[in-house]
Amino acid sequence: MAISLAHLRDQLAASPIVSPYPHDLAVAIICDTFRQGSQKPPSQSEWDRIEKGVKNPLFREQVGMLAHVLVASELRKKTVLYLTADRTPMARLQQFFEEVNPLTAEMIRSNAFRQEEFLRKWASALGADIEGETERESKERLKALDYRQAVTDLRKVEEARKQEAERRTKMLQEAQQKDAEARGWRE
Amino acid sequence: MTLAVAPRARIRRDAHTQRPHLPWALDVAEGLSRGASTVDEAVARAELESRMGWLRDALQGSPYYVRVLREAGLHPGDLQRLEDLRHFPALDRATLARHWEDVPTLPDASDECVVVKSSGTTGDPVNVLRDRRDCLLMWAVLRFFTEHTGTVPPPRPRVVLLDVLPGGLEYSVRLPLFHDGALHRVSVLRDDAVARLLRVRASVVFSDPEGLRWLLEHPEVPAPRLLLTSAQHLPRALRDAWEHGRGVPVLNYYAATETGPLAWECREDANPGHFHVLTPDVWLEPDGDEVVVTRLRPSVLPLLRYRPGDTGAVRRDACACGFHGWTLTGFGGRGACAFRTPAGRSVDAWSLAWVFKHHPLRAFRLTQVSLEHFTLELSGAPPDSVRPLCERLTAALRNLGWSSPRVERVVEAREAEARPPNAKPLPFRSELPSSG
Repeated sequence: MAISLAHLRDQLAASPIVSPYPHDLAVAIICDTFRQGSQKPPSQSEWDRIEKGVKNPLFREQVGMLAHVLVASELRKKTVLYLTADRTPMARLQQFFEEVNPLTAEMIRSNAFRQEEFLRKWASALGADIEGETERESKERLKALDYRQAVTDLRKVEEARKQEAERRTKMLQEAQQKDAEARGWRE
Repeated sequence: MTLAVAPRARIRRDAHTQRPHLPWALDVAEGLSRGASTVDEAVARAELESRMGWLRDALQGSPYYVRVLREAGLHPGDLQRLEDLRHFPALDRATLARHWEDVPTLPDASDECVVVKSSGTTGDPVNVLRDRRDCLLMWAVLRFFTEHTGTVPPPRPRVVLLDVLPGGLEYSVRLPLFHDGALHRVSVLRDDAVARLLRVRASVVFSDPEGLRWLLEHPEVPAPRLLLTSAQHLPRALRDAWEHGRGVPVLNYYAATETGPLAWECREDANPGHFHVLTPDVWLEPDGDEVVVTRLRPSVLPLLRYRPGDTGAVRRDACACGFHGWTLTGFGGRGACAFRTPAGRSVDAWSLAWVFKHHPLRAFRLTQVSLEHFTLELSGAPPDSVRPLCERLTAALRNLGWSSPRVERVVEAREAEARPPNAKPLPFRSELPSSG
């Protein structure tokens, strides 16, 4: 029952996306998936609420990419198997779209790591197991892949680096200044 | 003889500052020994991957990589396994030359860094930032090479850089990292070269094929215990004359200014041109026809998928020499070229390469048209540097045996002849008929 990421990625590589999915079509594909799992999909107003809630300009392209990975691989079949009654479709979608926030459609299409992250985050929203991994290993891998966290960390490191470089430049200037002052002057 | 053609050299004489780095040097040598004898590929890969933590941190500290990775939707944490590397962007020589200040991480405040200029003979010259350990690495690798060849250095061994370059630069410094020895640079162009070598009694000699040939012609100089050269084209007869004739092992290694030592040539007679990679310090990507280097040894300059511009294929190997690891074959990109002196002597044209290192230019080609006539094609050289360059080149040729060399500037650099994509240009050429 576990999701095989290698298999999914082979399937996706064999069916590359040729053009973006229209938003309504993408929403319909996702809703149909929930229906196949005998769950009531979010209504139009609930989709609007999700979109407003995540405040993410990439939301629509992410919806399109979710629809694509569902129909171009066995992920849709696997998704249906994991749709248990303990969580609503709305809750799963909200979690997923909040977590995939900075991923663009292009990244998911062409970048192996971001595609893996996208798939793993959907598996996480479903509570699905990843084939060949313990739950802990899956969590660790997801943490290592987390692009949003990495971008935040990189920003902090970059800022710290700039501050350190500025501090050193200032120290150097002060040392040069002291050196110049120590030389005295000529009238 | 004009020896004053070399630019002023700045020699570090505070060799005692090497001593704190001795444990590190021993660790490097031990790591290389382990890397060359690890039979199980999975274990060898695990060792390499265990070093990626440093690389991830270094990439985070490099303004260039932070920008490039962000543009590609990547981050250092994506790099967990060797297989992940292929998804990362490569860095070529020209890009490193343009962004040399942004690629390094911020060095420790206490670390003494220097900027070294790569020759520029095979493409754009590159400024390379080196930390103290980058500068000392060769001595750590030498410890591995001596162990690998079964060379036992005497107490306080003397290492000689036997120099045939036209500059005639000489110096002596202590070498604590190599068994408390000393390093002497000796120029064969000086009149007292033999006398100095007799005094020094070197255990280890570094030189190029010209120097090895010169040394062979002076049997009065005691043979060293190990010879090292980084010539890509080490003539077989010369190697045999030392290995079989004088019983001295010759170790030919592959190194670049940007990367440090990368591999050494197998000494088995059946394996010429097989270069064994110095893992786990560096990783050369297999399954391609171009050298792509990722450096896994900590340095101020992180190099991720660096393309030095050399061609070759890398594969896992269990060699008859006892080496287990990855081996580079079909190595090319730095075409051999011999110039002929009026007396008929053959001179490795690459011994002139250093002359170009000290002039700003993008590319050059020096062609021997007749015995005393050379044409020089330059690209990107400021007009005021052309005359000094030609003068220095003429003086260098005189030092190498030409009595009245004539260097003629050809205004426009011609397009390089057809060569494999990404391969380096061939800067030295001879139009003289082969002497056979």
